Amino acid sequence: MLKMESIHKRFNGAEVLKNVDLKVKKGEAVALIGPSGSGKTTLIRVINGFVLPDNGRVVVRGKEIDYRKKDELRQMRKRIGMIYQLFNLVDRTSAIDNVVSGALGRMDRGFELISSTIGLFSTEVRERAMELLNFVGIEDKAFERVDRLSGGQKQRVAIARALMQEPEILLADEPIANLDPRTSQKIMELLTKINRERGITIITVLHHLESVRDHFHRVVALKDGEICFDGRTDCLTREHISSIYEFAGEYECAAA
Amino acid sequence: MRSSVSLSHYKRVMGQGTKVRRFLLWFLLIIILALSFKASQIDIRTFIDGMPHALSLIKEMFPPDFARWKRIITLTAETISVGFWGTLLGILVSVPLGIFSAKNTSPNAVIYNTSKELVNLLRAVPDIIYALIFVTAIGIGPVAGVIALMLATVGLLGKFYAEAVETIDPKPVEAIEAAGSHKLSVIRHAVVPQVFPLFMGYNLYALDHNIRAAMALGLVGAGGLGIELFTQMRSFNYQKVSAILIVMLIIIIAIDRVSAYLRKGIIEGTLFSANKFRDYVLMAIVAAMAFISIYFIPVDLKEIVYGLPRIWEFLSNMFPPERSDIPRYIWLMLETIAIGICGTFFAIVISIPLGMLAARNVTHSPVISNAAREIANFLRGIPDLVFALVFVAAVGLGPFAGVLALALHTAGFLGKFYAEAIENIDPKPVEAVEATGARFLQKIIHAVFPQALPLFNSYNLYILDRNIRASTVLGVVGAGGIGFELIMSMRIFEHQRTATLIIIILITITAVDRISAYLRKKVV
Repeated sequence: MLKMESIHKRFNGAEVLKNVDLKVKKGEAVALIGPSGSGKTTLIRVINGFVLPDNGRVVVRGKEIDYRKKDELRQMRKRIGMIYQLFNLVDRTSAIDNVVSGALGRMDRGFELISSTIGLFSTEVRERAMELLNFVGIEDKAFERVDRLSGGQKQRVAIARALMQEPEILLADEPIANLDPRTSQKIMELLTKINRERGITIITVLHHLESVRDHFHRVVALKDGEICFDGRTDCLTREHISSIYEFAGEYECAAA
Repeated sequence: MRSSVSLSHYKRVMGQGTKVRRFLLWFLLIIILALSFKASQIDIRTFIDGMPHALSLIKEMFPPDFARWKRIITLTAETISVGFWGTLLGILVSVPLGIFSAKNTSPNAVIYNTSKELVNLLRAVPDIIYALIFVTAIGIGPVAGVIALMLATVGLLGKFYAEAVETIDPKPVEAIEAAGSHKLSVIRHAVVPQVFPLFMGYNLYALDHNIRAAMALGLVGAGGLGIELFTQMRSFNYQKVSAILIVMLIIIIAIDRVSAYLRKGIIEGTLFSANKFRDYVLMAIVAAMAFISIYFIPVDLKEIVYGLPRIWEFLSNMFPPERSDIPRYIWLMLETIAIGICGTFFAIVISIPLGMLAARNVTHSPVISNAAREIANFLRGIPDLVFALVFVAAVGLGPFAGVLALALHTAGFLGKFYAEAIENIDPKPVEAVEATGARFLQKIIHAVFPQALPLFNSYNLYILDRNIRASTVLGVVGAGGIGFELIMSMRIFEHQRTATLIIIILITITAVDRISAYLRKKVV
């Protein structure tokens, strides 16, 4: 499904990703963990082309992505949904308006392109958006302005927007970092359900290790721009975890 | 099954109410626009027929003829001087008036209400109308310009000052009052230090605005470059006209930049710290300004002494106002409003692409965004009356020239405002929509516009208010509306008619101002 080979990225001289290799099979659910600044977010943004790697190949569905070709990049993005820590919804518009915008990428030809650009969506698209809002459990808030929704409800709208793309891969960048524990639990359950019922491959940056244990069968840990653990969740031992996160401690000792 | 449930739900929740309301609002807007188009004689054929004429006019402007450069320099200095003295006198009057019309520093309710209403009244009258009044009363020359700008400045600064004083921190005031100090010393030691930087910022803004306005005041005979522009325009010396326009533009843009730089410095407290060279340049500019204003002092004391009784005579001749023509004047006022509406409409049409191109986060190209910014600066730099004068020569006398003038001048404002609004939006939702594979325009319309729209609407209303005010004086140069009637009534000394016209203009402007302020509060 997704293959990343020796991905290398520098920001202002600092090496953020060092020859990262990652393969994800169709239908897998992968959690990306690691301390702050280890390159998790950069890695996930390389996948949908918001960060261009300096080196390396990204192959999605057997096709290598040429980042210089805008249209190719766009075609790839159509099948990759993304949800964010701060939800990234368009405030002042309704939940359903946000959800239908997920269909914009698909409507890129002829009449559909024109009508969707000026904001006219067919009844089918709107019905589909309604179904998805029903699926994520907030159908009753469809016509509410999103800035009036709670954090958990906003993330549900964002998930519905991503599902509107009919994605094969769903990327999530710390989707529960701004939510309370109970809401976080529910959002993680929803993501798991999406993975199991719809067979959508999920790659999530996550800080909450308990959620990782409860919901993912594979963990990839990044440290200092390199992958230092890649395996089944139940193989991730206490020792692994302390070695992944102890970088800061070691640094303090070294400085002293 | 689920799908049909959702659909009925969709229809139910979407509610016919909001849809009908929205439809009615658009319907109303379109009808108002259509009527305004008709009233301001907008005709695509006039425009197309006028195009070759306008082009030949521009061709005739080149090369600019600077033969009368001595006169241009003198008049430019006089313009700056008129702007400076108008501002200075305005500030002197505004300080007490502003403090009296601020709730927290006014001695009592009577003084508070009187001074507040006085400021409102002064603000409602366009500066050109003041200039017309004083040119008629005390004669052609820069004195009329200084008095006109002074009164307009009081209307502007009086309100700004009062608002600044009303938003100060009350705690230091209380502390000094608690020490048993006199009211005046409370103001001196607790209020002034808090509002001083804000006041200075407003003063600079007023100065910038007044020098710009002084360029146009000459069109009605109130001194400065405008007189020369009007004379040369009338005698079809277009090469001399273009020379004057170029000088005007350079001065206005330079003052705009210096004023923006100084205001930023005052607000951030970074003035005189960035680098030495800049400090010297700034001091040189200030010194030059002071020299010009004193050397070219436009106020002759004799003129004022002789003028005052004439102002009184002029004012007493206005009463009682002539009432026979009121219905006709009201129709004319409606035509004037229509010019303002159409001007705003075209300004919006121009500004949407202009603002987008100028927004750095849309174009990602410094060349394009800077070019668009410079176009906006250029449009903003030329006073609308000057544009109107040029368009009257191009498309002929009538409201259409006024519409074009307002559209171009205020597109400069709106383009800049739009660009700033777009640059301040939250980029995260835009990325999210881009991540769905949306195309450029889809991204703009679905993620950028919804965020910027409330601000756009607020700016549009502000510009509409401003344009209706400005349209009342466009007639002075023959660009349609009630202003023509006004200037004619003054030329033939029918002061009672003048009074009626001014009252009608005042009522309209005040009403539009209130409505616009109310609507702006609602949209944001």
